[in-house]
Amino acid sequence: MSAPLVLLPSDEVPQDHLPTNNSNPLRLGPGLRILSQPSSKGSSHVLTATQAGLLTTDAKRNTVSLLSFPNRRYIPTVNDFVIAQIHHSSVDFFHCMVTPHTAHALLGQLSFEGASKKTRPMLKQGELVYARVQSVGVGAGAEVELTCVNPATGKADGGLGPLTGGMVFDVSTGMAARLIRASSSSAEHTDAIEGLVVLSELGKKLESLGGFEIAVGRNGKVWVDCSNAAESAVKVTVAVGRCLQETDQQNLHPHDQKKLVTKILRDMKLVS
Amino acid sequence: MRDRLQTRYQVQAQLRRPIKERPAHEKSQRETTLLLPTLRTLKKLPNFYLSIVNMVGPIASLSQLNRADGSASYKCPATGYSILGAVNAPIELPARRDALKPEEATVEVFVKPGTTTAGVGERHVEGILRSVLGKIVLGREKGFPRRGVVLTLAIVGGENVERGDSANLSQYLTILPALLHAGLLAMVSASVPLSMTFSATLLGVTKSGDIVRDLSPTAAKAAVSLHVFAVSSKNHLLLNESEGRFDFDTWELVRERALSVCQGETAASADGDVTMGEGTASASLNGFIRETVEDQVYSDYAFKLDSI
Repeated sequence: MSAPLVLLPSDEVPQDHLPTNNSNPLRLGPGLRILSQPSSKGSSHVLTATQAGLLTTDAKRNTVSLLSFPNRRYIPTVNDFVIAQIHHSSVDFFHCMVTPHTAHALLGQLSFEGASKKTRPMLKQGELVYARVQSVGVGAGAEVELTCVNPATGKADGGLGPLTGGMVFDVSTGMAARLIRASSSSAEHTDAIEGLVVLSELGKKLESLGGFEIAVGRNGKVWVDCSNAAESAVKVTVAVGRCLQETDQQNLHPHDQKKLVTKILRDMKLVS
Repeated sequence: MRDRLQTRYQVQAQLRRPIKERPAHEKSQRETTLLLPTLRTLKKLPNFYLSIVNMVGPIASLSQLNRADGSASYKCPATGYSILGAVNAPIELPARRDALKPEEATVEVFVKPGTTTAGVGERHVEGILRSVLGKIVLGREKGFPRRGVVLTLAIVGGENVERGDSANLSQYLTILPALLHAGLLAMVSASVPLSMTFSATLLGVTKSGDIVRDLSPTAAKAAVSLHVFAVSSKNHLLLNESEGRFDFDTWELVRERALSVCQGETAASADGDVTMGEGTASASLNGFIRETVEDQVYSDYAFKLDSI
């Protein structure tokens, strides 16, 4: 890859930064648009940026996109995994909170794995679900719809469904996206690319205590549970949450992430 | 990559802009030794130090507020103004404020003075800001029609803007460039789609006919005429607010000077008395906007860039 290129609104994407794979049409990610410029020999097309960010290309999928500032408010997008909290329930829907101070998202009473009129989860106010954004509607004031089941297979892929036990920690949306990218590709070296070693380090150190379980929502929530570790369960949960939050807030380098994990686990007397 | 960042940080330090601290193990010996002599000379020679301070450019940083979608702070040492801007976008507007242009986003601007409530002067400057920013916001992008882009600018430092008489408006000309820059950077930080960026400058014509850049509020009172220009990254003239007595020839001279200040073009070098540093790209105001944004992107994506 060539030197990183930061574009500002109205900057043109240089030709030599575009992927040269001609088998697929070029796909544009968010933050870029195509403009045609009239010239003497017909019209030529240029790609210009509409936001500020880092230009990234994917030669395999023939895409070019602009990574904008990561720590924004979460705006629901179809197929994102989110952690939602039940606000109240009505006849057909659970009304859930995805982000604070916005309209409630709707989660169908029957959109759970194996749910029917008779057997469906009875979720109470304040309970958590791990859900996928099904639709975001069109225009202003549209409702966001969530689902806990893959409509094609009828299965709860990727751990969708109610989250019982555990605790939720707030992280920035940029950090949540990084955690998801780091975990979605199972190869070990991907962790290093996203600059995140905190989870693998915690996993190694806490294996003797029974390990832990996490779910990451794109809306900046991380759910941590540790039901295996009998009496130190609460401690492990809090330690994992603290490690993630401090890595996020201080934007730690992999080297410092390892130090942080050691320090926090020692502070909480989990490992000697 | 690392080399490029290092030179950037050194240049920043010499311009006395805030240095973003990097983890200790990354800091090379070379960097510290290079910085030390500069600081020592500054201590020894106060006059030299003062001349540096007069030349010093504005200071800005992005994404400082956690709860806003985007934010920026901007401080202009020459005029002394310090502005904090926050943008929330796209948000649902209450009632029917979207009815005027339903196919576009509505841009709203609020200016909050540090010590009092907003008055006539603020309303006036809000109108100017709304028209400039409304022109460059792409309000028809996905997710933006019928929604609002709300910009709040708080004046957190600098002299109080006088109230009550006609002096009010000229006072607002001195603060206008700082408000424009803070507003633009906050928009960029909130990832609001924009068609272009811009930079703005305040120029005053003194009694002796000199064109002075970035006047302080007291110097602005003595000036014969005041001009604020905003020039886009594509060299469009986006805003011209002029006040006082001047003729077309003066205005043309001021406009050329504004273009060179914003764009960093060497066009003004013909008259021989070009101030130092305006000729290079990084010293121009558009270059300054670009550097501020690049710094923020580099620090936000440090984890990605380190692995390249």
